[in-house]
Amino acid sequence: MISAVAKSGNLAPYLKNTSQAVVSSLKTSVKPVVVSSDKVVAPTPVSKSTDFSLGSALNRGKISVQYGLNGPLQIRSAHTDVRVPDFTYYRKTSTLDPTKKAEASESSRKTFAYTVTAGGFVLTTYAAKNLVGTFVTSMSASADVLALASIEVNLNDIPEGKSVTFKWRGKPLFIRHRNGKEIATESGVDLGSLRDPQHDTERVKDPKWLIVIGVCTHLGCVPVANAGDFGGYYCPCHGSHYDASGRIRKGPAPLNLEVPPYEIKDDGMVIVG
Amino acid sequence: MGIADMLFKRTSTMALTVIVGAFVFERSFDVLTNTIWDKINEGKQWKDIKKNYES
Repeated sequence: MISAVAKSGNLAPYLKNTSQAVVSSLKTSVKPVVVSSDKVVAPTPVSKSTDFSLGSALNRGKISVQYGLNGPLQIRSAHTDVRVPDFTYYRKTSTLDPTKKAEASESSRKTFAYTVTAGGFVLTTYAAKNLVGTFVTSMSASADVLALASIEVNLNDIPEGKSVTFKWRGKPLFIRHRNGKEIATESGVDLGSLRDPQHDTERVKDPKWLIVIGVCTHLGCVPVANAGDFGGYYCPCHGSHYDASGRIRKGPAPLNLEVPPYEIKDDGMVIVG
Repeated sequence: MGIADMLFKRTSTMALTVIVGAFVFERSFDVLTNTIWDKINEGKQWKDIKKNYES
């Protein structure tokens, strides 16, 4: 299309500005002439739509343009043959009716959108909290520091007859407050009957308190307190029985439970390790 | 509808809702996933067999 750009200048009062809308520039439709009726006739849609058939419908060869002051200065295509697809499948049901105002469904649409967004924010916050937490906890005591750590326990908190477990250097630590009966029993055991002969006094500093590491000497499971046939500990993995002094009495374990280095202070605190 | 609008209109209230919601979500998510894990591994963990050894 040739479009004329003309500055009318002094001729302005004498020129008629006309523009004519035509439906289409394809050969199959009406040629650009002045149409007396108001209505623009829409042609039947072009059924062929391959490149070749569409290309053959284009104007080729001689294109003549009438250009002058007594004809239309503009030829514009009306594009009334453009077909807009039906989008009703994609629309919200509340907005389907074209006669309804948009404000009616506005609050429900906004609520839905903002709720979904808030949900997304919650998930992001959760992820961010975990990420930051990972980096911050990486600054806590490392494994080598914990490996050489000592633990301080208040013995006054442990009632008689009870065995309490603590985590020390990554391993369970059993502290047992023994009653008189247990002490007497353990002191009276014949050393010849023991697989790993040790007298009770060799294993404890104060006979009231048994402090041993809760790792079975067989294959390393954690024995259960107040279980087994000898009133001490029982390892559920392979059935090793330990007595109230932590000595092996029955089962596959070869040695008694290990006694760690510890100090009992006067105020009832014990420092292990 | 009214409650949600009240929470989300201002950015400050939205931020507060999101933070509180994150705590609630984290706790409930942990409970949910722990329950699922324990269900799948029924009878295999110490807490399940502990009662057999208490005397």
